[in-house]
Amino acid sequence: MSGDGSRRHGPPMSITVRHTLRGGEVRTAVRDLAPVVLGLTPFALLIGVTAVRSGVGAGTGILGAPLLYGGSGQLTALTLMAGGAGLGAVLAGVSLVNVRFLLYAAALEPHFRGQPRWFRWIAPHFVVDPVYAMVTRRRELSGAELDDPVTFRRYWTTAGVGLGVAWTALTAAGALLAPVLPTSSALDVAAPAMFLAMLVPQLRTRPARVGAVTAAVVAALASSLPTGLGLLCGIAAGVVAATLTDRSPS
Amino acid sequence: MTLLASAVATYGLRIVLITLVPAHRLPAVLRRGLPHLAPAALAGLVATALAGHAGPGALVAPGPTHLALAVAGLVAWRFRNPALPVLAAVVVAVAWEVLS
Repeated sequence: MSGDGSRRHGPPMSITVRHTLRGGEVRTAVRDLAPVVLGLTPFALLIGVTAVRSGVGAGTGILGAPLLYGGSGQLTALTLMAGGAGLGAVLAGVSLVNVRFLLYAAALEPHFRGQPRWFRWIAPHFVVDPVYAMVTRRRELSGAELDDPVTFRRYWTTAGVGLGVAWTALTAAGALLAPVLPTSSALDVAAPAMFLAMLVPQLRTRPARVGAVTAAVVAALASSLPTGLGLLCGIAAGVVAATLTDRSPS
Repeated sequence: MTLLASAVATYGLRIVLITLVPAHRLPAVLRRGLPHLAPAALAGLVATALAGHAGPGALVAPGPTHLALAVAGLVAWRFRNPALPVLAAVVVAVAWEVLS
């Protein structure tokens, strides 16, 4: 194991900067995570409620939270299992919905390059929309701060584990409260509002705006395609449009 | 068993371009697009949630979700705190339900 690989590959940082950042990244991750958990609470509750009301069972619903670690994939699995779908159909549906993680992983890969082997095998489990968006937003706010491998490792682990614990607990709460929770559109609106809150600060450049608009239009037009495919088409179209618009040197 | 198999498949998607075939070995043309992924993915997620199962027609038929997300967008534009747009959207959705 390359236990100290981070120090060999990390970019040069002054001792002052390194000491200012390290130790603070856990606190920063917790601070960044708090509003994300708040925004995801209705979504997690909804998954717990769905697991119970669909007849799949609270245990399966709760177990899906740490295992799949992705709301849309969990919801897809629960819906298909409740409909009596077989292993192949559930596997295909969940993979299709989660294939965007492949893109997130590719974008995050530079942060994993100088990390110890254990981290490169275990930590990708936390690649999911909110954690990816948190890292992107933190990079916007703090510049190269997360380029330091140790800082990234602490930030990522705190965010990933923290979100996992909260997500599982909230899914369990949803399953427990399923008999008494009312049906409300507030449950549906919180997750997209959270994604919107993460998107808006990133719209400062023209390529970002072109990419976002293109992705939104294509994803909406293709939303009637089988589970997850419309979103994937939207993301791909948005990335292509933004790349074509981007005139900065590559 | 089904859940476990799905978890293994999802883990595979997460790990393949980080640990097995690192993304820096991808062709340059693909790597150029990666910095633009976040806005596209987030916008796609919002649009998909808005369109829902009703398809693209839902986008041109305004409802409480549209209003809630429009307010959330304005709040996100004005304030840096990411919790405020979520709270604003939930308040609008609940107020709509109470008033209608």
